[in-house]
Amino acid sequence: MSDRPDRRDDAEIEAMLRGLDAEGLELLQPPPEVWEGIESAVRAGGEPDGRVVPLEPRRRRARRIVLSSAAAAALAIAGVAAWAAATGDPDAVIASSTLAYEPDSFDPLGAGARASAELVERDGGHRIVIVDAVLPAVEAEADLEAWLIRPDDQGNVADLVSLGVVDPAGPGSLAVPAGYDPALYSVVDISVEPRDGDPAHSGRSILRGMLEGT
Amino acid sequence: MQRFADEATDSAEQAFVEGDEGALEAVYRRYGDLVYTLCRRTLDESRADDVTQEVFISAWRGRKRFDPAKGSLAGWLVTITKNRIIDNIRAETRHSERRSGEEPAQIPTGAEIEQIAERLMIAEALRRLPERTRRVIEMHYFEGWTHSEIAQKTSLPLGTVKSTIHRGLGKIRCQLESADE
Repeated sequence: MSDRPDRRDDAEIEAMLRGLDAEGLELLQPPPEVWEGIESAVRAGGEPDGRVVPLEPRRRRARRIVLSSAAAAALAIAGVAAWAAATGDPDAVIASSTLAYEPDSFDPLGAGARASAELVERDGGHRIVIVDAVLPAVEAEADLEAWLIRPDDQGNVADLVSLGVVDPAGPGSLAVPAGYDPALYSVVDISVEPRDGDPAHSGRSILRGMLEGT
Repeated sequence: MQRFADEATDSAEQAFVEGDEGALEAVYRRYGDLVYTLCRRTLDESRADDVTQEVFISAWRGRKRFDPAKGSLAGWLVTITKNRIIDNIRAETRHSERRSGEEPAQIPTGAEIEQIAERLMIAEALRRLPERTRRVIEMHYFEGWTHSEIAQKTSLPLGTVKSTIHRGLGKIRCQLESADE
């Protein structure tokens, strides 16, 4: 990393050191229940392979959607996806999914939609690239939003995270937030999200698919 | 990447990556204060508790993605924490907008969170320096002593004082760059 173009020089580090005040140096101790919550969540998960039971995701409610796809359940039961190990090759496609519309449970707006999602590694993180997309225009006060969903052993939604708004005309790529392992958060979902101030999934999915190793 | 973590920390980090639950506790005892302080300086107490928990559970779950060759565990945890804080603030802002229809309360911007995190990482890097190096750096930058005055007070040769400060800055820089990964 010595060749980083943005490498800080001594003067910058010195300025930062001089800018530290007593408050900047002081660390606060978390209350004991924080560790107790971590410990119980990890222990509840049993196997030390990372499949822990998370705390109730308070701000990413998953109640409104279900994963009805048999494939989702099958892969969830099989455990962590086989492509968990990254290739180290920038922009190499690690896994992909052809997203599909489910007429019985999805929003009718998705009836003519299609898209594929590719998981790539870039700059030390993961991105979901939406390709071959034909996406519908949504109503005025709404957006299309992409999500990664972590299924549980029964194929239900255990947790989900928003990847951000998708532009129907040019969906491009979306960063997977740090800390979310796409081998666990392995279902890509695109939904219609009204601009109503509610960050939870609306339940109005238009396309969905499970990432599979390439 | 030049590493300067002591051997005990390296050992705990390795055990953490390998899935030793005891190492998770060791890592929490080592970095729980750092993660929690970053949360408390940007979130209220209740949400700071929640996010601190989420960070360690998430780090445990995703530990195979931590590559010690790319940077320190502290830097990795701080990166996860920043993302979770931003995520949390974004969600809370949207909630409050819906609830009241008014402007949300004063909330830190992404740049402010970044600055708070960076200061905490400097403080963390300082704590991890060898005792003599840390003391010399504190005397120079916090207490305002010149190199010559430090040499006199510590009975160290002037050249040693200068090289100690230079090496210390280099180690702090390494720690900060780990956090940028």
